[in-house]
Amino acid sequence: MTAATNKSFLADLLAGRPTADRGDAMSRLRARAVERVGALTVPNTHDEDWRFTDISPLTRLSFQPVRAATKLSAADIAPFVLAEAASRLVFVDGIYAPQLSTPASGPVVLSSLAAALPVQAIAIETELGRMAAFEHNAFTALNTAFVNDGALLLLPRGAVAEKPVHLLFIATQKEVASYPRCLVVAGAGSSATVIEDYVALTEDAYLTNTVGEFVLGEDARLHHVRVQRESSAGFHVGHSAVSIAHGSHYHGVNVGFGARLSRYNLDMVQTAEGGECTIGGLAMVDDNQLADTHTTIDHTKPHGVSRQQHKCIVGGSARAVFNGRIVVRKGAQLTNSTQSSRNLLLSDRARVDTKPQLEIFADDVKCTHGATVGQLEADEVFYLKSRGLSDAAARSLLTYAFGAEILRQISVSELRQRLEQTVLAQTERA
Amino acid sequence: MSSVLQNLVNKPYEHGFVTDIESDTAAKGLSEDTIRFISAKKDEPQWLLDFRLKAYQHWLTMTPPAWANVHYPPVDFQAISYYSAPKAKKKLASMDEVDPELLKTFEKLGVPMNERAKLAGVAVDVIFDSVSVATTYKAKLAEVGIIFCSISEAVHNHPELVQKYLGSVVPTGDNFYAGLNSAVFTDGSFCFIPKGVKCPMDLSTYFRINTESSGQFERTLIIAEEGATVSYLEGCTAPKFDTNQLHAAVVELVALDNADIKYSTVQNWYAGDENGVGGIYNFVTKRGLCKGVNSRISWTQVETGSAITWKYPSCILRGDNSVGEFYSVALTNHYQQADTGTKMIHIGKNTRSKIVSKGISAGHSNNSYRGLVRIAPTASGARNYSQCDSMLIGDQCGANTFPYIDVRNPGAKVEHEASTSKIGEDQLFYFAQRGIGAEEAVSMIINGFCKDVFQQLPMEFAVEATKLLGVKLEGSVG
Repeated sequence: MTAATNKSFLADLLAGRPTADRGDAMSRLRARAVERVGALTVPNTHDEDWRFTDISPLTRLSFQPVRAATKLSAADIAPFVLAEAASRLVFVDGIYAPQLSTPASGPVVLSSLAAALPVQAIAIETELGRMAAFEHNAFTALNTAFVNDGALLLLPRGAVAEKPVHLLFIATQKEVASYPRCLVVAGAGSSATVIEDYVALTEDAYLTNTVGEFVLGEDARLHHVRVQRESSAGFHVGHSAVSIAHGSHYHGVNVGFGARLSRYNLDMVQTAEGGECTIGGLAMVDDNQLADTHTTIDHTKPHGVSRQQHKCIVGGSARAVFNGRIVVRKGAQLTNSTQSSRNLLLSDRARVDTKPQLEIFADDVKCTHGATVGQLEADEVFYLKSRGLSDAAARSLLTYAFGAEILRQISVSELRQRLEQTVLAQTERA
Repeated sequence: MSSVLQNLVNKPYEHGFVTDIESDTAAKGLSEDTIRFISAKKDEPQWLLDFRLKAYQHWLTMTPPAWANVHYPPVDFQAISYYSAPKAKKKLASMDEVDPELLKTFEKLGVPMNERAKLAGVAVDVIFDSVSVATTYKAKLAEVGIIFCSISEAVHNHPELVQKYLGSVVPTGDNFYAGLNSAVFTDGSFCFIPKGVKCPMDLSTYFRINTESSGQFERTLIIAEEGATVSYLEGCTAPKFDTNQLHAAVVELVALDNADIKYSTVQNWYAGDENGVGGIYNFVTKRGLCKGVNSRISWTQVETGSAITWKYPSCILRGDNSVGEFYSVALTNHYQQADTGTKMIHIGKNTRSKIVSKGISAGHSNNSYRGLVRIAPTASGARNYSQCDSMLIGDQCGANTFPYIDVRNPGAKVEHEASTSKIGEDQLFYFAQRGIGAEEAVSMIINGFCKDVFQQLPMEFAVEATKLLGVKLEGSVG
C-alpha cells in the first residue's frame, strides 16, 4: 500500500464530516482533529503499534458517513435491550435515536452530547477530547473530526447510579462509517455501571470507529462493560481513554466476539496517588476474524494498583493480538501491578501474537506479568471423558470455562448470562 | 546506607590502559576501496572479496535500526578505521617470542596466558585487536580432528568449510550491523568439530579492543558436525577511551544432527565513566542454527560492560527435537543502556526452548529485555518457557520487558513470566542482624538472584562472573 492510497483513504473518509462551525468547543475540537488527520497516515505493519494487524482489508474498501438515518422500532432493538438497565441511549449508525432512548436528567445526567451542550458546556468543553489523545492515532483523530454528538454521562459529586446505564450502538447500513463517542465524567465519590454495547442489524461490511473517555474523580467507582458483537463482515476500531484519581477504582471488562477485523485500544492513566484499576478482557474469534487489543496502564503516581487479565480463544484461521503495556513512571513508588495474558488455540491455523510489556522506572514496586499460549490440557479433557462426557462436550465445557472466568466479572447478570450463552454457542459450533 | 551503595557502584574501570604497539591501521572511512584494502591485506580469495562487496552494496541501502530502547548520537561510519593489525612479524616458534608488551597486557588483565592456558586446560585463541597472534593447544585439538584457528587462517587452510557455512546463519543482508560486519570483518575465530568428536577441553577466545577508534568487527563461526559436542567461552575487556568505539561482531553457530554447542560470554568492556561519557557501542548479531535432529545450542551471557548493548543471541530450531537455551545476566550502572534478549524460532517438531533472563539496573541506567518466541505452523509439540526477572537498585534507573510471543501451532505450549523486585531494606536488615555488612549482603542477594544463570557457566567463568558483579555494583546499593 502506498502513501498516496493511505492519504486518500483518510481524505475520503473525512469528506463527509460535519462542517458547520458554530463557534463552540466542539467545532474547535473538530477543526484541530481535521488538521491532525491531514498530517497522519493510515498505519501499516511497519508501525510497531500495528505490527501484527494488517488493516489493508479495511483500507481496500470505501466508506461513507451515513446519509439517511435508519428508522428502527422498539421491536427491532428488543433483542439487545437489558431490562436491568434503567436508562438507555441508542445510536443507530452513530446517530442518536431519541425515540428508542430513555435519558435521565436527575442528579445523574444521561443525555446525548448535542442535547446537553447548551446546559453542560463547561463540563463538555473541559473533558471532551482531553483524555483521548489523537496526535498519533489516525483513527482517534478521525473520530474527533466527526465529533458532533455522542453519549454523555455526568455523575455529580457523591451521585450513585443504582441501575446500570446502557449505551447501545447499532450498525444497520452497508459501507457506512460511523463515529460513536462517549464521555463519562464521574465526580468525586460517585459510582456507576456503564455498558457500552456495539451490535449490528446488517451482515454487510461497515466501519465503526469509536472513542470513549472516562474520567474518574476522587474515590469514584466505575464499572465499565464494553461489548463488541459487530457483524462478521464489519470493522471495529475502538479507543477508550480512562483516568483514575486518588482512591478511585475503575473496573473494566471488555468482551469482543464480532467483526472481521477489530482493534481496541485502552489507555489507562493513574493521575494521583492511590488509584486502582481492574481490567478483564476476552476476545473470542473464529473463521478469518482478527481481534487486536492494545492496552496501556500508566502509573504516574505512587501507590497505584492494577490487575489485568486478558484471554483469547482462537479458532478457524482466526488471529488474536494482545499488547499489554504497563508503565511505572519515575517516582511512582509502591505500585502494585499484575498482568496475565492467556491464550487458547483451537485449530491448526489459528494464531496468537501476545506481548505483555513492562516499563519500570521506580525501584520500590511489585510488577509481575505472565503469558501462556496453548491448547486444552489433554489431562483435563480425559478427566471429563472419564466421567462420561463426549470428547466434543468435554472440549466445549473446558473452552467455556476458560472464557467464563472473564465474563464472571460482569456484575449485570442479564448481560453476563447472554454473553455466556454466546460463548457456549460458539464453542459448540467449533 | 545509600552512601555505602553509592560507593559500591562507582568503582572505576580496572582494565583501562593502552598497550603501546605499532599497528598497521587503515585510514579512516569506508568505501569499496577500504574493503579491497582489507581483503588484499589479508590475502583473501576472490569469493570472499565478492562476499564482502555484496554485503557492502546491500548495507548501503540499509538504515541503522531505531526500534531498540537505546539512545545515542548517530554513528559516523566514515570516522572509523576499519583495519588495525599489529605489524606482521616473523613466525613465532614459542610463546617467548610473543611481544612482551602484549604479554604484559594480558598480565594486567589477569590472564597469564602461558600459565593459565595450561593450568586451566584451556586453549586460548587470542585476538589482539583484529589479528590472532598466538594460538595454543592446537596440536592437541588437531589430534582429534578439531580445527580451532582464526578465521583468516581458516579461509586459507579450509576454504571449502568457510565458504559453505559463512553467512549461512546470519545472511549478509540480515540487519544493518551484520551487513557492516560482513563487509569489513577483519578476524575472529573458526571452530570445526568433526563427526562424533567430543571436544576434550573448553575452547576460549580472549577479545580485546586496543587501538583507539578502531572499531572491531569480529566474525566467529562454529560448526559442530553430527554427534559433536563443544563448549566455547568468550571473554571481553577493553581499555578506557573517551570516544565511543563501535563493536559489531557476528557469531554464527551450526549444529548438525545430535550436535551440542554451548557458547558462554562474559562481557566487561568499558562502559563509559559515571557521567556516561565514552564507552563501547556493542551491536552484536549472534545466532545459532540447530540444523539437525536432536541438536542443542545453549547461549549463556553475563553482560556487564559497554555503554550500549544491542544483542540478541538467537536459536533457529529447525531440526526435530532440537533444543535452544538462553541464560542471561545483564547488569547496567551509571548511564549504561542495554537492550538485550533472545529469539527462539521453532520450526521443527517437538522443539524446546528455555529462556532465563536476569536484568539488574542501577544508577541512571536503562535495561531492557526484548525477546521473541515464534512457533511456526510446522512446530507441533513445541515447548517454550521464559522467565525474565528484573531488579532495580535506586530510583533513577529503568527496567523494561518486551517479550514478543507469536504462536501459530495449537499443539505448542508457551509460557512467559516476568517479575520486578528490589533489594529490600528488610533483607539488608536481616543480613545486618547476622553481622553481614551492606556491601556483602548486596553481593550475596545479587548472586542468589543470578544463580540460575551462573550455574550454566563453566567453573572459571562462574567465579569470574560472580566477582565481576560485585565489582560493578560496588557503591551502588543502598
